[in-house]
Amino acid sequence: MHEENLMLPKARIPFGTWGSSYFPAWQTSALAEVNIGQFAGEAMNRIMGIRGVSNREIEYLVIGSTVPWHWKFWNAPLVASCMGHRVPGYHVEQACATGLQAVLLGGAEIQSGAHEVVGVLTFDRTSDSPVGVFPERRAHQRTVPIADVWDNFGFDPATGKAMIAAAGKSARKYKLDRREVDELAFYRHQQYFEAKESGFLDRVLVPLDILNVSGRPLGRIDDDLGVRPLSRDAMRAMAELDTCVTSGTQTHASDGMATLLVTTKDRVPDFSPRPEIDIQFVAKTEVRTDPSLMPEAPALAVQKLLSTSGLSMADMAVVKNHNPFAVNDAIFSQLLDYD
Amino acid sequence: MTKSMREATLQTIGLGSVLEIFQRGKLPAEASEMVDRVFGDAEQRGSLVISGAQGIVGSGKAMQLGSRLYRFGVPVVGIDFPGVPDGISKHYPGLVRAFGRDGANEIMGSIIQLHYDGAHLPAELSHFRPRFLLEAIPEILSIKKAHYEIFRGSFPDIEIRSVTSGFPSSELGVGIAHPAFPHEINKVWEIVEPEPSAVTQLLWSVGLMPIPVSDHWSFVLDVLFCGLTLAGLRYHDASNMPFWKIDKLVRKLVGPNPFRAHDAIGAKGANFLTWSCLHHLAEQYGEVFRPTALLEERKETGENWYPPNHFRPLVDWKLDDAGEEEFRTWILGPVFQMASLLVHEKRSHLSNLNAIGELCAQFRRGVLAMIREEGADSAIAIVEAYHQRDPQAAGAAWFPDAFGAVDEVDWQQLYVNAEHDGQVGVITLSRESYNSDVNHELNRALDWLRTEGIERLILTGDFHLSTQMVGADTSEFFPALENAEVGALIANEWSKTARRLHTDFSTSVGFINGKRCLGGMLELMMHCHYVVATEGADLGMPEVTLPVVPGMEGCHWPFRKAGTEDWPKLIVLLLVGRSIKAGDGVGWLIDAAASMDEALRTVWSIATDGDHGMPRRLLEEGALAGVPKEARDLPAASTPEAEAARQAILDCIDQACGTTLAEALGTQAEHSAGFMISPACRKGAIGAMYKKTMAV
Repeated sequence: MHEENLMLPKARIPFGTWGSSYFPAWQTSALAEVNIGQFAGEAMNRIMGIRGVSNREIEYLVIGSTVPWHWKFWNAPLVASCMGHRVPGYHVEQACATGLQAVLLGGAEIQSGAHEVVGVLTFDRTSDSPVGVFPERRAHQRTVPIADVWDNFGFDPATGKAMIAAAGKSARKYKLDRREVDELAFYRHQQYFEAKESGFLDRVLVPLDILNVSGRPLGRIDDDLGVRPLSRDAMRAMAELDTCVTSGTQTHASDGMATLLVTTKDRVPDFSPRPEIDIQFVAKTEVRTDPSLMPEAPALAVQKLLSTSGLSMADMAVVKNHNPFAVNDAIFSQLLDYD
Repeated sequence: MTKSMREATLQTIGLGSVLEIFQRGKLPAEASEMVDRVFGDAEQRGSLVISGAQGIVGSGKAMQLGSRLYRFGVPVVGIDFPGVPDGISKHYPGLVRAFGRDGANEIMGSIIQLHYDGAHLPAELSHFRPRFLLEAIPEILSIKKAHYEIFRGSFPDIEIRSVTSGFPSSELGVGIAHPAFPHEINKVWEIVEPEPSAVTQLLWSVGLMPIPVSDHWSFVLDVLFCGLTLAGLRYHDASNMPFWKIDKLVRKLVGPNPFRAHDAIGAKGANFLTWSCLHHLAEQYGEVFRPTALLEERKETGENWYPPNHFRPLVDWKLDDAGEEEFRTWILGPVFQMASLLVHEKRSHLSNLNAIGELCAQFRRGVLAMIREEGADSAIAIVEAYHQRDPQAAGAAWFPDAFGAVDEVDWQQLYVNAEHDGQVGVITLSRESYNSDVNHELNRALDWLRTEGIERLILTGDFHLSTQMVGADTSEFFPALENAEVGALIANEWSKTARRLHTDFSTSVGFINGKRCLGGMLELMMHCHYVVATEGADLGMPEVTLPVVPGMEGCHWPFRKAGTEDWPKLIVLLLVGRSIKAGDGVGWLIDAAASMDEALRTVWSIATDGDHGMPRRLLEEGALAGVPKEARDLPAASTPEAEAARQAILDCIDQACGTTLAEALGTQAEHSAGFMISPACRKGAIGAMYKKTMAV
């Protein structure tokens, strides 16, 4: 795409300068025991080392997470110090798609000319989420404890509904069929295991060994524990928690981190093993939907993007939708006429 | 005429050969004589002045020298600026631990603390008749020079030595006595002076280790230790590996953990000193020494290298084989290159160069021993591979020809030397613990003496770099914890070497002249026909406490030389692991214990077949009958592992004594190796050290 049409024409993601931990499910791995901010910083350092990127090159760090973690107050510079190179930065948090937003903000730092090399690091830990004690005037104690993950998953104060209720409501709005959603989720599982089998995930995911406080091995994070092959029959036999929503058609709560580098076009050859691959920031947008209809929002946003950018779905080589619920993908397919 | 394999390191400080010590029957320099020479006789006794006495170096040396000189009535006058933090008093608890409260009080009573303004000496100073100034003030050349002028103005004849961390003597205009950390206990001083002086010989005579080095920028220890730190920093830059992990891998590969050492010493000061050393070396020798940007930063911030305690590392860094090779190249490449510079510049006797890394920088084996084992071609290839990764380092200070003589005797005999006068040979050990290097070198020394036709042998420490004999180097046993064949090989080979002391010479005498002789070293000595010790020396077999089963025939050889009535004492020695004084071992463990001069004369008398009056204790070569199969009234073993070791040692005694001498070597080796792979051994000190050092 011509640079004048790019949203962040100066920013690039150097091919290959990224990596992620595996994402073991809630309470299934050594990550249940750690400060995830520290883990993320140290893991980013490890991954960048493997990718041949010196942490000294990173000038700024955008971190993203949603579940609070110990010493979160100290924000990105603290995580950067765990990375081994203390740099300024900030934290972004928006529950869904925090990672995407963090990458875009990293690009914006480049575009503004403030920095030449920005690290982007997102992470979360749903295991043993912290419990906050908040003022609550309705309670006779005047305070209320909230377990950050589960109490928030179960209650969106703006709508009074749970996250899962939004999925069910969206499924009803688009008249989705349970069999169609089950089939789609089954297909996603197949895609995942095929990608794993082919070694594709090994290009991105990095096994990480975790130490306890004594410096002895605590565990190895080398699998997305909790993701297991499912049959169609098993999928169909699952209890429906809300319309078209079962435990098999929603993502699993897990712990992990992911990171990548954002830099200027000129600096790409300094970091990328394939500098000829030009990864640009083309466009972004968000849209507003009615209450409890988040699953349709990504598709509506893409529709808007296509209309403003002059692109079509035919131009897309790879499509990744935000899909905590399989319902999201079904709606995307329906609205974009994209299979 | 004395002939030797190579020059004795003792000769490098002007104290002659080791053989001459035995020939004369006395040490080449007595402390009382040297004190008189340096500080004047008792009626006119002068003082030692330490300037910068409240600093880390100054205060440490005030303790070390004060504790050795107070008996001779030499006061230590420490001078420093008013208001500086008190560095001397904080050593008091350590003095109490070492000398008891009365001793500590007496030592502190001999240390006088004065203040001055940097420009004028305190008037009271002259009352103490300063004879020797040890300057330990900040590393600013102009200030140091002005300081010397002030002293020379008031005390024209005063001897001055600087402890400088890097300036050459030619820049300072005074001699150098550069001590190694920790200053209150480390005995090593790198000495720069045109000829060995009375000051240097005084240091030796009071039990310290002066090592002469050439007059170049920085010192051997600093080049090696700062160089190793720099190698770690460069690898960090190339890989992102955190310093705590680099430390673990450096410890596994070489021995030290340089970044922990900086934090332990105090990163603020240590970072600056390392930077300063490297900066000056880089100015002199080029890029191989250039401090990295991170070191530049941290010499300003004083930031620690390890994460704080609340951020103990979470993510481990494991290396595959290729990664380990890469790491090896980044670490050994620059260290070998720097060693080539030290050899090229002839900074010191090769044994000295090699020993400094072991004695002061925790190198498991000296850098020259590492290069020797690697072989010249391989060592050069490692440096060249490093240059591919860091091309700037190739530009200067690389002398591959320095490794060309690696097959010559000075390189081959780093730890063991041999001298003879045509009749009596002396083999000297310069290493306090026995390892495979010593074993190989000892065999070569024995071969050389045999080739020279020598029939009478004295085996001893070197009176310089080795002040005690602590036993086997337990790091040699690490592979044996996994593989009994390796353990058996070590025990077999080392025992065969030891037996040569018994079989290859008509008379052999082991001389124990240090503070202690333990474990494998005592087993080695016991193979001599006679063993003579200085009376205060501690002798012991502490293997049971580690726990291991002795591997160099300690479970049968002494039984074969002792009377049956003394066997219970040997059992207790082996099963309890507590040392005895040399005097208490005469007749059943050793043959004589005496004061230094008398012991020297006794050794010489035995070696020359003089009238020493001591019968040779014969070695029983048949199976022994009646060796106790159990020990009564022993104190309880401290751990289940020690208890298991006791039983294993008893079994070994039973089996090895119950067979012929010819068979016993193999029996003992088998028992030693078998215990090494047992859970009890792995849970013990060696197993723990193995886990900490090698399983990383």
